[in-house]
Amino acid sequence: MRMAAWLHTLQNSAFSAWVVGSDSIWAYPMILTMHTVGLGIVVGAAVIVDLRLLGVGPGVPLDEVKRLFPIFWVGFFINLVSGVMLFVSEAADKATQPVFLLKLSLIAIGVAVTVRIRRRLFGGGGASILAASGVRTLAMGSLFVWAGAIVAGRLMAYLK
Amino acid sequence: MDPFSAWLEATRISTTMRNMTWLWPTCESIHFIGLGLLIGGAGYFDLRLLGFMRRVPVGAAKAFMPWAIAGFAMNFVTGTLFFVMAPHMYVPSAAWWAKVFFIVVAGLNAMFFETTLGTRVMLLGPNEDTPLSFKIVGGVSLFSWFAVLFFGRMLPYIGTGN
Repeated sequence: MRMAAWLHTLQNSAFSAWVVGSDSIWAYPMILTMHTVGLGIVVGAAVIVDLRLLGVGPGVPLDEVKRLFPIFWVGFFINLVSGVMLFVSEAADKATQPVFLLKLSLIAIGVAVTVRIRRRLFGGGGASILAASGVRTLAMGSLFVWAGAIVAGRLMAYLK
Repeated sequence: MDPFSAWLEATRISTTMRNMTWLWPTCESIHFIGLGLLIGGAGYFDLRLLGFMRRVPVGAAKAFMPWAIAGFAMNFVTGTLFFVMAPHMYVPSAAWWAKVFFIVVAGLNAMFFETTLGTRVMLLGPNEDTPLSFKIVGGVSLFSWFAVLFFGRMLPYIGTGN
């Protein structure tokens, strides 16, 4: 119950009123757009890592795939910040929305899978890591989990 | 409502699709997945054209382009369906025209690259910087695709028709 009260305090704050109530395109529309920019960067970087591990672009040295992780984290940071802003403005409503909780779970899994893939790549072993079926399973799982997170996020507008 | 939108929205195909309430959210989901494939595949190649990640041969960085094109195709189809279902949301929208403009810029830029500079790609080995012409093409492409994303997401909020 204390949690619910706290969520309502967030949702009724001046900041929330500005995000959802302002007519300015710098409020809700720009935060939402930044969240989509971040989505493109996060999923874009993850897709390239996953496809490379699944055998696309064999001419790309595996060592160079590591350069995509900082890009991934930049996108993730953009979406963490914009996502928290969007959440706060509707905290009490979103916190109990099943499809939002599904989206958060999928993002948590996606990040965990990405961290595991990163660890495999930085662990050395060169091209031999591609022969390990575990890496391919992680890459395939990553593609499906991020697609699922996108769908869950989109359906938040419909499944209240 | 403008006459064209009024006509299109009254057609049977438009009415039928609007009546399928699941179709719009489904197309949106596909549109956002396509966005990820497009930004990923095109953005990766653009970064290499700009001179980043030089240990990757330029030709190898291009291997993800079929996935970007698949993402574009998904978004072209779903985008066309949005347009047919609700043209009045797009025809009078400044944001939609800006989005279309940047899709055309990105398309012409890619065609220019393929027909003129593209043949030089394979001559560039790993560890080589890209010539200025490649950097311009990569920069225009990266900027254009993010502009497409920006105006697409801002569509309901900038210069909207309803």
